[in-house]
Amino acid sequence: MLPWNYGFHWNTGHIVFLGAFYLVLMTVAATLIAAARRSRKALVEHRVEQIAWHADFHDLPARDRACRHVLTGEFKSRECPNAFDCRECETHAKLIERHSLPAAERPEEDIFGMAFPLDRYYHRGHTWVHPESDGTVTVGLDELGARLLGKPDGLDLPPAGAHVEANGTAFRIRKGSADVRILAPVDGEVVETGGPDRGWYLKIRPAQAGEAAFRHLLRGAEIKPWVARETERLQLALTGPASTVTMADGGVLVPDIAATCPQADWDAVCGEMFLEP
Amino acid sequence: MPNQSIDRPFITRGVARCSGSKFLLWMAPWTALLLFGLYAAALCLIKGLNQTNMDNRFAFGLWIFLDLTVIALGAGAFFTGFLLYILKVDELRAVINSAVVIGLVCYSGAVCVLAVDVGQPLRAWFTFWYPNVHSMLTEVTFCISCYLTVLAIEYVPIVLRNRKLRQIPGFLVFEFELHKLIYVLAGVGTFLSFFHQGSLGGLYGVLRGRPFAFREGLAVWPSTFFLFILSAAAVGPSFILLTTWLVQKISHKRLVRPEVLQLLGRISGSLLALYVLAKSIDTLVWINRTSPETGFQAWQYYSWKPFGSWLLVMEIGIFGLLPTLMLLTPQLRRRTGWLVTGASLACLGAALNRFVLTVQTLALPTLSFDRFLSYTPSWQETGTFLAVVAYGVLVYSFSFRYFQLFPQERELKVEAPAVEEQELVGRY
Repeated sequence: MLPWNYGFHWNTGHIVFLGAFYLVLMTVAATLIAAARRSRKALVEHRVEQIAWHADFHDLPARDRACRHVLTGEFKSRECPNAFDCRECETHAKLIERHSLPAAERPEEDIFGMAFPLDRYYHRGHTWVHPESDGTVTVGLDELGARLLGKPDGLDLPPAGAHVEANGTAFRIRKGSADVRILAPVDGEVVETGGPDRGWYLKIRPAQAGEAAFRHLLRGAEIKPWVARETERLQLALTGPASTVTMADGGVLVPDIAATCPQADWDAVCGEMFLEP
Repeated sequence: MPNQSIDRPFITRGVARCSGSKFLLWMAPWTALLLFGLYAAALCLIKGLNQTNMDNRFAFGLWIFLDLTVIALGAGAFFTGFLLYILKVDELRAVINSAVVIGLVCYSGAVCVLAVDVGQPLRAWFTFWYPNVHSMLTEVTFCISCYLTVLAIEYVPIVLRNRKLRQIPGFLVFEFELHKLIYVLAGVGTFLSFFHQGSLGGLYGVLRGRPFAFREGLAVWPSTFFLFILSAAAVGPSFILLTTWLVQKISHKRLVRPEVLQLLGRISGSLLALYVLAKSIDTLVWINRTSPETGFQAWQYYSWKPFGSWLLVMEIGIFGLLPTLMLLTPQLRRRTGWLVTGASLACLGAALNRFVLTVQTLALPTLSFDRFLSYTPSWQETGTFLAVVAYGVLVYSFSFRYFQLFPQERELKVEAPAVEEQELVGRY
């Protein structure tokens, strides 16, 4: 039946069948080649971090992909279509234009016994960004993140001069069985590294100047409902089928939660809370 | 306590799996069965097909029955892919990875058995190079080979999403980019499946020398061509439902929301209703026109025991109409027992249909000097059959442990089950 075989005669049936067969083969091959070429391009353009975050975001449960405007009650339910990067989000821009966020009344929020200073921005991966007078920003773990990890067993910080991008890996922390990557809150170049003892982890020179660099970060009145939601998420993450851990109403989180609940699957809990499913 | 087994870094974060030793204990008997089956298959390959109870008169036996059945049951892969990626039925995302693994296992198992059945597997490539223009098997061979390739490619992203493998940037990026194009493969898979499922049915429908199977049809396609497509599309979702329920039972975990299983049941039931209607019309036409025109009254076929008319009643009634009603009645579908029973009956119906067309067709005499034949597979045939079952269980178990087959599993871990759902998964 193949054209190069002895006794082959072309007819309509052959044309249709062989045409369909070769079309299928070419489509499959073209799909593989396209995927391979796109992959190569992504690797050459150093988009691995971006892709890793998009893959992680896609794997998050729907309830964890909620838009920031759901936290403040502006939407009843809405899934973030931009993987928590509000810099490109038209809906966010419109809402901010319509009614900008009210300024915080106090310099610091005390939420469930945790301090959230309002002079900085917060990333949903539990880091904060504090703009410094020299144009750099300091990046640290927020209070909930710090209490989750307690005193880290290990830390992989990027060297000075390294480039980090928003929602890419800023640094990695190991604590017991957990090994989590902490998402970078902004794009920029690392100028100095710190550590848990210094209260901050990275000093970054942002790639973008001004307010635009922080548009995707939470601030002011958004912080309280977000932390409330995160506390609920933590409660859920600690409530595995075999877990006996519960969070009593009215109490506050202890400084080193992992040390207090060694029976929990901390790898899973940290993955859940630091958005690395 | 969290699982601390040695392979923990390879297991998806946030899901609980049994210890490594328990897993090995589960795999051991299946591996033994696979080895036994491989020995049986090796005997057939080395000593020849005289190791089987098939002969020139009874050329299709247990293996072809197995092939047709697993290919029908594996249709869930193409049909779920079609519904999810082409028709955008997003709820099915919860089972698509499992469906791909099931499809891959079914099709690769079928191809392996065919390689033994060919008798001279080293010449298997002849079918591609010197294909028989006039045989529907040619279309089947081409389509199944292509679709198996597609399934293997669809399996790649599932493997590359493994927690450890995705740490390699090349794998992570390729998986991401390939997944973006997966709808193309879903479309190709649907096209290929449509034709090879049909051609497998058409293969029997064109047998003029076997009036029990011979059917009229549309242009070059006998009615069995369309009935096979419809029945495969109908039982594919049922098989996914059944395997998901079974894995939930065995692993004592909630893997998908009950609504997903109910949706699969509804899809299966709707298509089954169409199939039962088409099959009934086809049977009536065959009894009243096709069969008499070939010189046989239909009742004559059923006078050969044990293949009596009860088989027809079972096929259309017990394994067709009954599961249709179970799967299409909302009150019954909401109850796990009914849902699973309906899906099981639907799958058994497809198996019975393939058995009837393969074994009963060949057993019945058609010429005056012909006699009724009975066929019992040899232990080598049975061993090879069991090897495919063991292979399927092994591949699926491995995939379930190391890959994310059910994306809802993590979410369901922390959600309280609905009262009715509790009976779905047994204990926790």
